[in-house]
Amino acid sequence: MGEFITLDIDLGRCLGIEKCGKCIQVCPVNIFTSNGDYPKAVEANEDECTLCKLCLQGCEVDAITIHKLYEE
Amino acid sequence: MRLLEYESKEILAKKGIPTPAGVLVYSPGTISLPPPVVIKAQIPIGGRQKAGGVVEALDQKEAEYKVEQMLSRTVRDYRVNKVLVEEKLDTAQEFYLGITYDTVAKEPIAIFSAEGGVDIEQLAEREPEKVQKRHFSVRTGLPEYTAREMISQASITGRTLLGLSNIFSLLATIFLENDATVTEINPLAQTKDGKRVALDCHVEIDDDALYRNPPLAQKEKDPHRVEGGRIASDFEKKATEIDNLDQRGVAGRLIEFDGNLGLIIGGGGASLTAFDAVQRHGGHPANYCEIGGNPSVLKTKELTKHILSKPGVEKIAVIMNVVSNTRVDLIARGVIKGIVEVGKNPSETLCVFRVPGAWEEEGFKILSKYGVDYCDRTVSIDEAARRGVEKLTKG
Ligand code: SF4
Ligand code: SF4
Repeated sequence: MGEFITLDIDLGRCLGIEKCGKCIQVCPVNIFTSNGDYPKAVEANEDECTLCKLCLQGCEVDAITIHKLYEE
Repeated sequence: MRLLEYESKEILAKKGIPTPAGVLVYSPGTISLPPPVVIKAQIPIGGRQKAGGVVEALDQKEAEYKVEQMLSRTVRDYRVNKVLVEEKLDTAQEFYLGITYDTVAKEPIAIFSAEGGVDIEQLAEREPEKVQKRHFSVRTGLPEYTAREMISQASITGRTLLGLSNIFSLLATIFLENDATVTEINPLAQTKDGKRVALDCHVEIDDDALYRNPPLAQKEKDPHRVEGGRIASDFEKKATEIDNLDQRGVAGRLIEFDGNLGLIIGGGGASLTAFDAVQRHGGHPANYCEIGGNPSVLKTKELTKHILSKPGVEKIAVIMNVVSNTRVDLIARGVIKGIVEVGKNPSETLCVFRVPGAWEEEGFKILSKYGVDYCDRTVSIDEAARRGVEKLTKG
């Protein structure tokens, strides 16, 4: 888990990498990687998230949530 | 990359700028140049004359003796492994011709003075009327007519004016063609028989452009070209490794000092200002460093841990100018994460955090969460340094 940021992917909604995989493609700092058929956030990278929201905009099914731990 | 004098003169001579007859000597022995001669240590630093790196010899025997002596010396921390032996010319007048880059105007600037052999910056400060300056475009270079206009302002006329303007224009071409940051002839001598010769010159090439000049890039890698100079400490080398962890921004250009206050500072001149301010307020920096260009959280974190690993360093001051191309929140994340990972408390370890600018609201939220006392842009760099030093000394 990041010190400042964590990312959740709702696998119940996610379309999977084969059909979609956009989050992996758009993230400028490589937060996501593939975990079998689905993407996952690499814990060691989560704090690099620039909050650019490209993944949120790319995800058609709103499966991604970004948590700013310093706001909680 | 600062070229050695003989390397600079080779470039000048290729362009047609006259230089004194000379030979490059690597070992003692016969000098194939009739005396009197000037013997010059080939080291990549100024102030050679004062440090004894330039001497004259009136006859052959004296020349051979002085060359041998020079080759066994260290001048300004550089071991002299080659000397340039040049004919000594009868000088009637000396001039200063320089081209450099004005980073404020973002254009090259040509600088001329009818007083050569001087420290041009000191002269410009003391007697500005004796120094002519003119910006020029990188597209046009410095046309001879512009050079003539400049030089004529120093009441120079006739053949001297024509000869000097031609050399000045060529010097600007050399500057542009070689991606130089400085091309300077100081002094350019007018000899008693009316010739104009570059007695000494200084050329520096932009390190980031070296790849465009493979022969020079090759020279720079030659370990025997220059011997000595300041050698990076292990602490500094480790910082460079951190900076090389990824390509994003800079976080690791560091110079070690023997104080107890770790510094994470940046912003070009701002890092120098912050460093000086810390000292002015009685602080003792453990390091100088430069961060900027939006380094990754990882690099800032590792740099923070590295600085805190230095014995005696308990606190860190983070001071930058108002940043536009670096994000405040990402710097805050990196620094705090580094402190947390070494098991310290950010609110105690950070004696000041003054990084205003892009994404500062987000950054300030992070700092507040960890109880760090931060400053916004209403607090000057100097005041931030004062607060940091005070917190370090008073706890
Ligand atoms: S963008 Fe959304 S739907 Fe597509 S792979 Fe990523 S999480 Fe799944
Ligand atoms: S917000 Fe941007 S940086 Fe963060 S995970 Fe999404 S795409 Fe990557």
